[in-house]
Amino acid sequence: MEEEDDETRALLANGRTETSRDAPAIPRALPALCDPSRLAHRLLVLLLMCFLGFGSYFCYDNPAALQTQVKQDMHVNTTKFMLLYAWYSWPNVVLCFLGGFLIDRVFGIRWGTIIFSCFVCIGQVVFALGGIVNAFWLMEFGRFVFGIGGESLAVAQNTYAVSWFKGKELNLVFGLQLSMARIGSTVNMNLMGWLYSKVEASLGSAGHTTLGITLMIGGITCILSLICALALAYLDQRAERILHKEQGKTGEVIKLTDVKDFSLPLWLIFFICVFYYVAVFPFIGLGKVFFTEKFGFSSQEASAINSVVYVISAPMSPIFGLLVDKTGKNVIWVLCAVVTTLASHILLAFTLWNPWIAMCLLGISYSLLACALWPMVAFVVPEHQLGTAYGFMQSIQNLGLAVISIIAGMILDTKGYLFLEVFFIACVSLSLLAVVLLYFVNRARGGNLNYSARQREEIKLSHAE
Amino acid sequence: MGSREGPCWGWGCCAPGPVLLLSLLWAAPSALLGEETRQVSLEVVSDWGGPPENLLHIRAVGTNSTLHYVWGTVGPPAVLLVATDTPHSVLSVNWSLLLSSEPYGGLTVLPKDSIQFSSALVFTRLFEFDGTNASDTAAQPPGRPYPPYSLAEFSWSNVSGSVDPATLSATFQGHPTGDPTGAFANGSLAFRVQAFPRSGRPAQPPRLLHTADTCQLEVALSGASPRGNRSLFGLEVATLGPGPACPSLQGQHSIDDEYAPAVFQLDQLLWGSLPSGFVQWRPVAFSQKQGGRESALPCRASPPYPTLAYLLSQSPIVRAFFGSQNNFCAFNLTFGTPTGPGYWDQHYLSWSALLGVGAPPVDALSPLVLGIMVVALGAPALLLLAGGLFLLLGPKGYSEYQRIN
Repeated sequence: MEEEDDETRALLANGRTETSRDAPAIPRALPALCDPSRLAHRLLVLLLMCFLGFGSYFCYDNPAALQTQVKQDMHVNTTKFMLLYAWYSWPNVVLCFLGGFLIDRVFGIRWGTIIFSCFVCIGQVVFALGGIVNAFWLMEFGRFVFGIGGESLAVAQNTYAVSWFKGKELNLVFGLQLSMARIGSTVNMNLMGWLYSKVEASLGSAGHTTLGITLMIGGITCILSLICALALAYLDQRAERILHKEQGKTGEVIKLTDVKDFSLPLWLIFFICVFYYVAVFPFIGLGKVFFTEKFGFSSQEASAINSVVYVISAPMSPIFGLLVDKTGKNVIWVLCAVVTTLASHILLAFTLWNPWIAMCLLGISYSLLACALWPMVAFVVPEHQLGTAYGFMQSIQNLGLAVISIIAGMILDTKGYLFLEVFFIACVSLSLLAVVLLYFVNRARGGNLNYSARQREEIKLSHAE
Repeated sequence: MGSREGPCWGWGCCAPGPVLLLSLLWAAPSALLGEETRQVSLEVVSDWGGPPENLLHIRAVGTNSTLHYVWGTVGPPAVLLVATDTPHSVLSVNWSLLLSSEPYGGLTVLPKDSIQFSSALVFTRLFEFDGTNASDTAAQPPGRPYPPYSLAEFSWSNVSGSVDPATLSATFQGHPTGDPTGAFANGSLAFRVQAFPRSGRPAQPPRLLHTADTCQLEVALSGASPRGNRSLFGLEVATLGPGPACPSLQGQHSIDDEYAPAVFQLDQLLWGSLPSGFVQWRPVAFSQKQGGRESALPCRASPPYPTLAYLLSQSPIVRAFFGSQNNFCAFNLTFGTPTGPGYWDQHYLSWSALLGVGAPPVDALSPLVLGIMVVALGAPALLLLAGGLFLLLGPKGYSEYQRIN
């Protein structure tokens, strides 16, 4: 029912093209690439959308890729280094609630995207300038500005995707955007170290100037993304003129008072989310030196293995998405993912086994968790509170990441990697505790979280009757 | 020849984790001479007749054995390590012999038949390399070498002033006798030695675990003007053991870096099969006094190679105990890489090692780590068990509730 509705409402549905025939000032025979109603044009838009997020994902993990260089050139310890990640997360604790609102009510999708892209660009430039003038506080400020743009840009990107592809290839588009994000992170991990050495060779010495220039060159990807944002705005407006297409909306309604109505299973889902992700992202942020020191990897090898989580998640996310869709039983899948992550951290901490095994396990479980955990929110929250729930989930995830990044840096400086890994194991274990609790709570309350796909289908049918 | 355990990455060649864990947990010293506690005394042996010479005798007496460490700067800084199987063995010093050109017999440990093991270390030269244009960080030597400082030509401050009976430590501080460039005008090279009555771990990095059978040496270079912008320093160490073979250098990989963040290796020099003497150190040096992680620099050791006595600075202390016909081996330590932190940061460099007899101390996982792991793995398992039992024993209420529905 609903899907059909979407189909008819879809902004670029074929039916619309017929009616737009007599739209003013549009020649009848546009080339396929320029005709907003044609697939070729949508593919062009898709390409722009993918590159829209590339810059921010590329630059997000710049510090991880250049961990040793940042610490040496700026003379900072790990605790201060991790502040670069914390400063990215702080604005997003609030912006997760505001991003949708800003796009819908204040800027509109086009201006919103352009503005957030500008924030990303300016943030990266300030970050790089901090390196050039040897001021670490400026680098932190750069990351803060970058953070303001980064996460909201992702929301804008999704809104564009829905606006252009709803009822069409939407899931595929989401999948492709996610893959592109992962590719951005991967390219960053493997490129920045090499770029730094090239800049070092041409400048003749390493130092904060080398670091700044390297980051500035990395910032080109953000300029590219800004160009994509401008092009998208133009094309979107043009499509609106030609197809009488409405400007895309996130449709998010955030009501903070809804928080008091959140159920126990939802809080448990939040808990799982926070304690799971804090054991993944800060680890990747600090991972490179771990692989060089503990396992004797070269710098390039360490970069490669540190990015493998992203590499795996690019192709596996759609596959696991399909798997979870077809089987249901979300809680069990989340349980599997968390247990696998726990095992992977234990392998990294207590063995000298080839870390590729553990990192591949981590990559697989990370992809599986994302596919099984996030949709669960929709099962326990009424639809009108969905925006608030997701906003809240992202917000506390960012809060967790900011706090744990700082703690992780402090632990590493004083107690070393083994203790850091034990700390991450404790975090994953808390997450596991919450999953087990969620399973029992859900069972005791006769909740729908762990239904198989068939059960969900039957319930849907019985409701329809 | 010394062998260094190469790094091995890949399937199947690394030590399996569980075995490593077990060996870490089961780390009681089981050496022939292993004693829980020892009575340690520090004594500066003086030559009443002649000029002041630095000779420090550390005597560590256990219930069944005595360890003698004789540190001295008669010639280059050197240490004799003698282990005996009686608590009554003594060191006898004949100064006139020791300072003569044929010093053999100048130092003896009596009774002679109680000696179980003896070895010596001589710190012969301080190297300096120009690291500015060195691109390959793993290269040996790490840059163009400057003329080395011969430690036999250093003059040393009187050690008696630095003996601290409370910490059982003493410091030999020296600078070149002739210093035409004035590099050491404000600088010095210090050898701080410390003995321990029982096992423990100092608060100062690299926090090596020590036992009553060990003695710690900290070499610190401070304040000396380097000859280049990016000078790297190194140390030449000569060794002499009971047999003709060189001691072997082992790099032990460990999973545990709790006491030395991001250092996952423990290097040790072993003379023959256990129990014998050992020198143990973490391959890390520090460019700041606090020794934080940001000032940690890698320390590389070359495998010991046999060398001839006349190529090295002669140590009267070693010759006085072992005689002149000896098979010396030598190895080089280099501190830092051209990139990264280095001596140039604060004109400071320190490196620590343990010297001892018996089985080298082995780190065990700390109680805090074990505790967290037990709770982290135990709690979810317990909850699963409790919840499972609850579901098994109490499904009636749930199904009745469903029926009513």
